[in-house]
Amino acid sequence: MTTSRVIVNNFLRFFVLIALQVLVLNNIYLGGFINPYLYIYFILLIPYEVPGALLLILAFITGAGVDIFTNTLGLHSSACLAMGYARPHIIRMISSGPDSLIGDSPSLKNQGLKWFLYYSLSLILIHHFVLFFLEAFRFTEFFTTFLRVVMSSVFTLLLVLICEYLFYPKEK
Amino acid sequence: MRNLFVFIRKNYFILLFLVLEALSLGLFFNFNEFQNTAVYDITSTFTGGINRTFRNISEYLTLKSTNQTLVEELAKLHSQLPKAYYSSDAHSFYRNDTIYQLQYRYISAKVISNTTNRRNNFLMISKGSLQGVRNHMGVIIGNRIVGQVVSVSPHFSWIISMLNKDSKVSGKFKKNNQLVNVEWSGGSYRYGSIREIPKHVDMKKGDTIITSGNSDIFPEGVLVGTISEFTVAPDENFNYGTILFSTDFNSLGYVEIVLDLMRKEKEDLKATFKSE
Repeated sequence: MTTSRVIVNNFLRFFVLIALQVLVLNNIYLGGFINPYLYIYFILLIPYEVPGALLLILAFITGAGVDIFTNTLGLHSSACLAMGYARPHIIRMISSGPDSLIGDSPSLKNQGLKWFLYYSLSLILIHHFVLFFLEAFRFTEFFTTFLRVVMSSVFTLLLVLICEYLFYPKEK
Repeated sequence: MRNLFVFIRKNYFILLFLVLEALSLGLFFNFNEFQNTAVYDITSTFTGGINRTFRNISEYLTLKSTNQTLVEELAKLHSQLPKAYYSSDAHSFYRNDTIYQLQYRYISAKVISNTTNRRNNFLMISKGSLQGVRNHMGVIIGNRIVGQVVSVSPHFSWIISMLNKDSKVSGKFKKNNQLVNVEWSGGSYRYGSIREIPKHVDMKKGDTIITSGNSDIFPEGVLVGTISEFTVAPDENFNYGTILFSTDFNSLGYVEIVLDLMRKEKEDLKATFKSE
């Protein structure tokens, strides 16, 4: 894929995911408080080549985009930054070497289910952990908040996997 | 100096992360305590428009239940007419009476955005300072509690819902006027928690909690909820319990803002005492 095509694709994905998040997903919750945050799918799919500084700035902008709509300035951007910071480390940890990364950006199709699960679940957990604990900001509700982190992470992961299978199906 | 540049070059990833994270946390702690008006004004002109359009569409889907609420409300109001109680829109109707002086006026407003699934929930409504809404006014729906105004722009108001860690309402048992505090400790939006129930109060499931009228924000007697569970703590000074909110926070279409016409008098009275 040419570079300009990749940029346009990511640009579109950014707007679609943020609109989906603030208009639809923010109104969805299971059991009263389980909330999916699919917009971080954008950060998961940023190409490997993107330099660290740009990755952090993109993560920050993504979080800030959601923050503006939910009036929680700084909340989502903090969580997204933590995720953006962890991303290169996680990739390095779970891959056997730079040669094992196939394609432009992380995907289920190229890396296999096990790799992609490790990758997305750890980043989603980091994001949700920062998000929910910043939001609650007290440790007296530690277990309730922790439960929210785990349940919402599972829900988000499920949506991410569905998106992977829908938009990047395995070629037969 | 050169070493410094080398250091920055080597560690720019973590340094940039720290700078941006500090910026975010700074924003978070400075602007989220009670949603500072300055930032809120800038962003709401943009996001308020989008939210309103989306809300207009989704309003059609809830028309039926909104009508239901309105009809119920009308029936209730008809039976209360002599009290000169209610005002529609920004205009209010009331009688001048020398024996019963009007204390509360109500402004109705449309809910533009509302959440129930976060730890700290807020509502935005379609009336602002131009219609007479001011900070710290109570917000109800029917005779049930919703929250408190925390920030006002000319056309919109920002309301801290009961479903927020900063919300605390002074309530009392309807049957014996014992005071309790009502809070929300997260989780399901249907249930809140009550603390500091005196040991000698004899509770039953289904006891009604209403506002005490102590706080100047809500009139006395606004429904908060009914007790759904309680624990008698043998080695503590107070008992605590769970309350089922009377309000369904997830289906708010219209709310009413309570204007206490005598609030200034009450506050002045307190102020004169302090200054002496």
